[in-house]
Amino acid sequence: MEKNKTVPAFWGKEDWQAVWIGFIVILLACIAVLTKAFDFSAVKFSTWAVGEAAATKAVPLATQLGEWAFWRKLIVTVVVLCVLFTLGVKLQGESVKKYIPAFLGLFVIALIVRFVSAEFTLNRYLEWAFWALLIGLLISNTVGVPDWLKPAIKTEFYIKTGLVIMGFSVLFSNIAKFGLYGLGIAWIVTPIVIIFMWWLGTKVLKIDNKPLVITLASATSVCGTSAAIATGAASGAKKDDLSIAISISIIFTILMMVFEPMIIKAVGMSQLMGGALIGGTVDSTGAVVLAGNALGPEAEQAAVLVKSIQNILIGFIAFFVAVFFATRVEKNSEKKVGAGEIWKRFPKFIIGFFVASLVASFLIQPIFGGDQVSAINKVLDQYKNWAFVLAFTSIGLDTNFKELAKNMQGGKVLWLYIVGQVFNIALTLFAVWFLLSGVVFDVPVLDLFK
Amino acid sequence: MGKSKEKAFKVVTILVVVAILVCALWIMGNHLGLVNGYDFGAGAYYYADIPGFENIEKEGVYRTKVPYWAHVVLFLCWGWLMYRLWVWIDKRK
Repeated sequence: MEKNKTVPAFWGKEDWQAVWIGFIVILLACIAVLTKAFDFSAVKFSTWAVGEAAATKAVPLATQLGEWAFWRKLIVTVVVLCVLFTLGVKLQGESVKKYIPAFLGLFVIALIVRFVSAEFTLNRYLEWAFWALLIGLLISNTVGVPDWLKPAIKTEFYIKTGLVIMGFSVLFSNIAKFGLYGLGIAWIVTPIVIIFMWWLGTKVLKIDNKPLVITLASATSVCGTSAAIATGAASGAKKDDLSIAISISIIFTILMMVFEPMIIKAVGMSQLMGGALIGGTVDSTGAVVLAGNALGPEAEQAAVLVKSIQNILIGFIAFFVAVFFATRVEKNSEKKVGAGEIWKRFPKFIIGFFVASLVASFLIQPIFGGDQVSAINKVLDQYKNWAFVLAFTSIGLDTNFKELAKNMQGGKVLWLYIVGQVFNIALTLFAVWFLLSGVVFDVPVLDLFK
Repeated sequence: MGKSKEKAFKVVTILVVVAILVCALWIMGNHLGLVNGYDFGAGAYYYADIPGFENIEKEGVYRTKVPYWAHVVLFLCWGWLMYRLWVWIDKRK
């Protein structure tokens, strides 16, 4: 512990470590893509299938494992993540000897998670976050977590690092993609829904776990899992809070992806309005594209445009949540919290998230173009996913079913989501009608032949 | 809440959970909502997880005459206003 005090906060504190580890990964990805000097891609399983589904785009497992590229990428992923996280752990003053074998053990479990979640049906409907939680929970609640594995269970460290890497994919240029129409649908509605759910959760349902309320509110109103991860970290949510918010969001997304377009079709809403409604209310981006596609090409584009704006809200919402919790929730008295205290409490990785986003939006994109940014983000996305899979596996390994059930607060949490989502749909529907029906403003025209 | 109301609330909640899970499993079992040409599903939670997203999201599909900076100003103003509203609501008992 004494050793840790000699290390400056920037190098020794987890929050700052997430920033510089994230930036090292981003820098390496930029150099690799822009210079083409080396391949920095992380390993990923392609979709695989058994039985009839094999007729789809699934790649046989034997083919995947038979390729040298797969093993090369696997080695790159393990080495990069193990070296960077071990360095962080060393600077935190913990034992490297204990951490390295534990990390490798955790990585093997994470590899199993990614393998399972690449199966055709599981991959199409449930995110790896779900499987990471489930497999972790199964291990911890059956055979138990061995002591040697415990030093690698560092949920927050992995989440914060993943978020800094994710920051690079949040592009500010998206804000004007659908003009004031998109801004009105995505940005007017989102904070109102968050505030409504905060009021409902804390004042009406009297849920005393405020980080859980804000994490669930963000997942409902912004974009599901990614928003839950960001606001959960910003509010200091516990591992169970994140598990609950994400599980609820994932399951309801499956239902909304199928039933929302059906209902929109049944009531005869236009493609533009239906797509915008889907973009503003369905949580996962993949589900947004599919639900929009079910209505037609114009709906698909409208849905994607609105969702693109929602994706850039993640950082801002996380920032405001961090400030709110530092100034209002974590304070011990009625006294006004000073700037110094706010800074002390403020989660520093949010700064890393914003800087990464600013660099991508105002430096890399204008200089090298959108295609290069997309190529860099393809590489970074896998590192982000690995960091999050390590985090969610850690959550599962560190949770028991009883605690999880207790945190559901007798079902209040579920009803907070259901009522919040209904309010979200109603308000988005009103915004869509107001802006896109032609009653108040001109109906915008989307050029689908671009 | 009285004991009988509490019990009813629990029963309704359990029924809703079961109905939702059965419905989700039914959707998954029947591969509903998927699109043949797309190699992803609801499991792709973030845009960067979607293979070929750059081909799905057509650039410049909508052109606006409102300058970019106006969007940023409105974005920040609304964000600040909503933050103040949140603090105000939270202060009320």
